[in-house]
Amino acid sequence: MTRKKTLLMAALAAAALIVIYLFLVNHAPIKLRRLALTGVMLGCIYGLIALGYSLIYKASGLMSFVQGDIMTIGAFLGLTFFTFFRGLFGTGEEGESNVGTFILSVLLTTAFAFLFGILLEKGTIRKLLNKNVMAIYVVLATIAISYIIQNGAQIIWGGIPLPVPSVFTVLFVQVIGVRIQPEMVLCVILSAGCMIMLHFFMTRTRMGTSLRAAAMDAKAAEACGIDVSLSTGLTWGMAAGLAAIAGILVGPIYGVYTMLGANIGRKGFSAAVIGGYGNMYGAMLGGIILGLAETFVAGYASSTLKNLIAYILLIAFLFIKPTGIFNERAIQDV
Amino acid sequence: MAPLLEVKNLHYYYGNIHSVKGIDLYVDEGEIVTLIGANGAGKTTTLQTISGLTSPRGVRGEILFKGKPIQRLRGNRVVGLGLMQVLEGRHIFAKLSVEENLLTGAYLRKDAAGIREDLGEVYALFPRLLERRAQLGGTLSGGEQQMLAIGRALINKPRMMLLDEPSLGLAPLIIKEIFIAIKKINSEGTTVLFVEQNSKIALATASRGYVLQTGEVVMHNTCENLLNNEDVKKAYLGM
Ligand SMILES: Nc1ncnc2c1ncn2[C@@H]1O[C@H](COP(=O)(O)OP(=O)(O)OP(=O)(O)O)[C@@H](O)[C@H]1O
Ligand SMILES: [Mg+2]
Repeated sequence: MTRKKTLLMAALAAAALIVIYLFLVNHAPIKLRRLALTGVMLGCIYGLIALGYSLIYKASGLMSFVQGDIMTIGAFLGLTFFTFFRGLFGTGEEGESNVGTFILSVLLTTAFAFLFGILLEKGTIRKLLNKNVMAIYVVLATIAISYIIQNGAQIIWGGIPLPVPSVFTVLFVQVIGVRIQPEMVLCVILSAGCMIMLHFFMTRTRMGTSLRAAAMDAKAAEACGIDVSLSTGLTWGMAAGLAAIAGILVGPIYGVYTMLGANIGRKGFSAAVIGGYGNMYGAMLGGIILGLAETFVAGYASSTLKNLIAYILLIAFLFIKPTGIFNERAIQDV
Repeated sequence: MAPLLEVKNLHYYYGNIHSVKGIDLYVDEGEIVTLIGANGAGKTTTLQTISGLTSPRGVRGEILFKGKPIQRLRGNRVVGLGLMQVLEGRHIFAKLSVEENLLTGAYLRKDAAGIREDLGEVYALFPRLLERRAQLGGTLSGGEQQMLAIGRALINKPRMMLLDEPSLGLAPLIIKEIFIAIKKINSEGTTVLFVEQNSKIALATASRGYVLQTGEVVMHNTCENLLNNEDVKKAYLGM
């Protein structure tokens, strides 16, 4: 995208946000405001997961079913670090602020997940591709790895959800007149921060541009001196890092359990399709749309329907607008 | 003095398809040499194998660049030695701007000021790229994309440039422009080896030529002699 277009889009998005904010504050009933906030929070999580799908698809032309499980690992690992550092640095008193410890846990968890993502690509995906295995089998392999992680997590951490200690001293904050958990605000701020940083990294740095170049045309990138194999590994690492961040951020809100990532990860596919599979900005927007759609359906219709809406939207988009909101190429050339 | 590039008994196998069958060629520093031949003769395979862009498993034989064997190196390493290839079909990064495409060619360079300067030189050589610097690569015309592909290689200040069918799909006027640029690049010190289907312009541009046929060199001479050769005239110049 050209700079002018990016600025225009940013301005439009900001204007839309202000209008929505004013409407919510002045006219909307409290229930609608609450749903909007929850929807945005959940949408950020979907967005982070969908971003990973898009990065992987662009870099390798594949989809990875492990993404959701990396989120689970991130949640458990985050909880483990958080508990450990709280014991180390904190007094353990009730109502103590743990923001610093939490951020530290986020950073460490992300670093671990990043390495895991690289290893996943280098150790399995790349190995299979080098054997000239067809893409569909590589995708099947990711499904197998996904189940292995799910069952492994079950063995290590057990089947019952674990609570995460609160990060802040206060139990509630007021946002547009609604009392919500401060961890929800943190979740939105950190996710948005990740997305903005990813945008600048991918478009404004040499490293990021080289990753995009390698994803667009591997041979041309290699002919420019880019180590494409390393680039692909790094991209899988970033996708894993984003998933782990999603995991550790929802921990304090939903608790941590072995199917956490699997459930959210599956729906993340839908977010990616809504936005345009493979498009970074589409992934974020698709995530928010899905988050809002789910919460509103749960709030105004039924919570059974809530779990279906992601898949209904996915099929609907495939039929009506397979290129998603951002017009990613979805139809095969004939 | 040893040649800048020397290829000795090079073979390439796509699985069990034997595409390049024992090619010998050399290019001296400062030279401009062409490789001509019909479709499927193995020109692209030869060039990409020299650049490390084909699978190393299929390569037999020896490739020496600046006296060093490079046949086991991956493509990005070969670039680091100063050997850049302008790929057949141009391979522009469609969703990067013209300027981003060019800067990607300088990926291995660390001297920001030098890169800026050479970016200016590329724009001076191809003013049309300057006009379109913010445009996405994928939206350029074929001729502009070829200029961009050449500029992307040139910005890395290569010791040697390989070009694969720079005239592919272009109108005669643009082809002329492209070849003037190639000659200029060569006259400013870059050694050039290029592949062409358009034998007429190839033999008019280069000083020496190799004729490739089904994976083998069947003729090697100065372009002057090749232009006067009856077989070449009949088979490649349509005379
Ligand atoms: N990826 C591949 N797998 C199998 N065979 C290949 C592959 N690429 C090329 N070949 C074969 O190798 C031979 C040489 O192909 P190459 O592309 O090098 O020819 P070329 O001289 O560049 O032809 P053109 O003028 O059409 O570009 C051809 O017979 C071709 O079919
Ligand atoms: Mg060719």
